[in-house]
Amino acid sequence: MKIHEKILTHYLSCTSPIDKEGYLYKKKERTSSYQRRWFVLKANLLFYQERPADRHLLGVIVLEGCAVQRCESEGGLFAFSMVFRGSGLKTYGLAAEDQLGQESWVKALLTASHCYLSLLVRDLGKQYEEAKRQAGPAESHQRTTVTGPGSMCLTQSMTYLNSCSSSFLMPGPARREGGSHSASNVLQAPPIPSKVINKRSPKHWPKRNAHVTPINGPAPPYGEWPQVDFDPLEDFTKLHDYYGEEVKQLRADWLRRRQEEEEHLEEDLIDLSEH
Amino acid sequence: MRFNEKELISLSRQPSERAAELGMRGPKKGDVVKRRLVKLVVNFLFYFRTDEEEPQGALLLEQCRVEREDSLAFSITFLDEAERKYLFECDSQEQCQEWIDSIIKASYEFMRKNLIFYRTEIHRLTGKDPLEQYGIEDETRFQVTSGLHLMPKDI
Repeated sequence: MKIHEKILTHYLSCTSPIDKEGYLYKKKERTSSYQRRWFVLKANLLFYQERPADRHLLGVIVLEGCAVQRCESEGGLFAFSMVFRGSGLKTYGLAAEDQLGQESWVKALLTASHCYLSLLVRDLGKQYEEAKRQAGPAESHQRTTVTGPGSMCLTQSMTYLNSCSSSFLMPGPARREGGSHSASNVLQAPPIPSKVINKRSPKHWPKRNAHVTPINGPAPPYGEWPQVDFDPLEDFTKLHDYYGEEVKQLRADWLRRRQEEEEHLEEDLIDLSEH
Repeated sequence: MRFNEKELISLSRQPSERAAELGMRGPKKGDVVKRRLVKLVVNFLFYFRTDEEEPQGALLLEQCRVEREDSLAFSITFLDEAERKYLFECDSQEQCQEWIDSIIKASYEFMRKNLIFYRTEIHRLTGKDPLEQYGIEDETRFQVTSGLHLMPKDI
């Protein structure tokens, strides 16, 4: 299949912003040795080359349909992988030099897919319509305050999280639990929908935004609260809470690890041979 | 340049925003119109020979110009070069317009602009940054390009 390289490289070098760049270690295929590469993330594309100044790009990874997964530390490097769902599809092994780098790359890669952005835009679009409606005529009288993340939403999403299997975002029985969620470190970009993306006009979208709760009015009727069993692709809020939990977990693990840290044997993981 | 071909091919098999058999003509002199199954998935335009399962090619729909060519045709120009202008022939005016709209809206950069607009507006209307609830307010990709930092409105 032809990928039209020039179009990709042109996009990389054009004026739109770069989303993240830096050195990472990339696992050489079929081996366990790492090579240091300069990575540039733009939109849903991850480019890599030997050094920042290089004209020659080594490769590009299209970031749709992959899960980002933290791995066990390897020789002092903070590893993570991008696992593409589907039989015969690749897993890319990457590693950062420190925890902060690992955390920020994982977060950036999680929010990189087109699918994710599409859901986020849809969600914000709804919030915008809602905000316009509320800011409407009687702005001075009706002081509607926007609730924060909302204990309601967070709890609901926690129960959702708890019921997630390690491979798929699936709805499950509601369980009220604080504390630790499933041990899975797997973070998924949402599976590509099995139906065509919903093209209903915004007017017909059910009003399910629990973040905007009028304080002076009655609680919205049941139908307007987010449902527990839903299609994750239809409600970005929950998808996001799920990711947010993973980032929190990353941070908690890092703090714990710092306390327990012991010295590791240093291995020469850096392979200077050609990739 | 290496790329994750298998994964892209897998992506091309996903349900698409829009797919149809169109007449497609490449940019080079001497290229003729050929029937291709054209499929829009995320910000890629895949095109297949009509009897094949694997796409012949994938066009990244970023930094390109989409134009109406005549009542039934539109074109996509890459790199601002006439030598990279692809022509697509549709079966109806309506189909043609729908393709143009879909391709424009599929661009990541287009979506990013919308996001920034909504973010700014929601903040203006409510005093709150809607990305904070998701913990992504500091992600570079969602930054308001003017460099203005969103400050909470004093209540």
